[in-house]
Amino acid sequence: MSAGENDGSADRINGIKSTLRVVPDFPKPGILFLDITTLLLDPKAFKDTIDLFVERYKQKDISVVAGIEARGFMFGPAIALAIGAKFVPLRKPKKLPGEVISEKYVLEYGTDCLEMHVGAVEPGERALVIDDLVATGGTLCAAMNLLERAGAVVVECACVIEVPDLKGRERLRLHGKPLYVLIESRFEPTS
Amino acid sequence: MMTLKTFNSDVVILKPQRFLHSGNFVNPLKSPAHSFPSTCKKKQSISASTAPGATGGRRYHTAARTDLRPCCSSHMDAPVSDGIKDDRIHRITSAIRVIPDFPKPGILFQDITTLLLDPVAFKDTIDLFVERYKDKGITVVAGVEARGFIFGPPIALAIGAKFVPMRKPNKLPGAVISEEYSLEYGTDKIEMHVGAVEPGDRALVIDDLIATGGTLCAAISLLERVGAHVVECACVIELPELKGRDRLGGKPLFVLVSS
Repeated sequence: MSAGENDGSADRINGIKSTLRVVPDFPKPGILFLDITTLLLDPKAFKDTIDLFVERYKQKDISVVAGIEARGFMFGPAIALAIGAKFVPLRKPKKLPGEVISEKYVLEYGTDCLEMHVGAVEPGERALVIDDLVATGGTLCAAMNLLERAGAVVVECACVIEVPDLKGRERLRLHGKPLYVLIESRFEPTS
Repeated sequence: MMTLKTFNSDVVILKPQRFLHSGNFVNPLKSPAHSFPSTCKKKQSISASTAPGATGGRRYHTAARTDLRPCCSSHMDAPVSDGIKDDRIHRITSAIRVIPDFPKPGILFQDITTLLLDPVAFKDTIDLFVERYKDKGITVVAGVEARGFIFGPPIALAIGAKFVPMRKPNKLPGAVISEEYSLEYGTDKIEMHVGAVEPGDRALVIDDLIATGGTLCAAISLLERVGAHVVECACVIELPELKGRDRLGGKPLFVLVSS
């Protein structure tokens, strides 16, 4: 499900979309990087972004917003504050002090790992996972696994941007969870 | 163990912090019996071991005490209502946990993630900063990676300012400017996007904690290099023994809790 479908948010979405920038050849040649920092430079667009998520989730009894390091930290806390939920950071290894649980996941080359504090999330909690962008869905799946291992129910994953060609939505569907995004980014071949 | 004592509206001495999980034994900390000054800016005469042990990074201190003292420290305006502010600070202070032996033995790590698990305390934290800055013409809130990203954006949103992330090297895409700064061993670097901040912007720098002040100092430099005016630095926690406050090039520092 994407925003803009019959929920009166088209103007806000267009405004948000216009602030995003594409940085070619980052982090390596041939990659087109979708940069949300320019969105953060536009207070109205940034506020609209948060509002759109808050409107969707405020009545859904979410008790935990889990944000993925580091750009998930830029959106998650504001949403959590507005809906009265806890914010739980999901971090790269060895950043969180004290006891953690870890979840490994596969990259194009090699693996990576996401960690969450033991005790941050309790069984039965209803969780939302936030990141700026979903590509293959690998990181979001690792995040969901962490929350589910702690006994939480993941209600939905939410991102500002989806890159549909990388099939993250399908990967989440196989995990049994829905994905909500504000913007889809499709790359058209130049003529 | 110390009992709860209120000396005035700004200083409350608390017992050592609760922990989320069992298993980490913490030595009960002795605290001196004499009273504390009413502002955090005055130097305290306590017999804490101020070992120069700020190893490698920002938040470690090997002092023998971990009292967290609420401290809306500044020479600036007094709180509107001391009673309400006192309750909020008390709750925020109680929500922060100390993790012993992280990242290595002997270090006491100030962990704000437990604050984020308390929606009232987290909101109070943001509100205290917003109340202070909303009428100061701030156009930029710069947050230092990564915990500055948790506090900075809600403040920016509430006061209508831009949010600018200050990041470790090679994370920001596109053109950046970098500032190197010293660690105990070696150096580190933070980066900011070219064009994010304009000459004349009035900036606030946010991080969760100030230790030696090296990171904040680098952040101030980046902002000034592009012509912004840094109005103040703001952190949830200060480790005063590491004297970061004195290393901000004359810029004022505002913190909620002093450890």
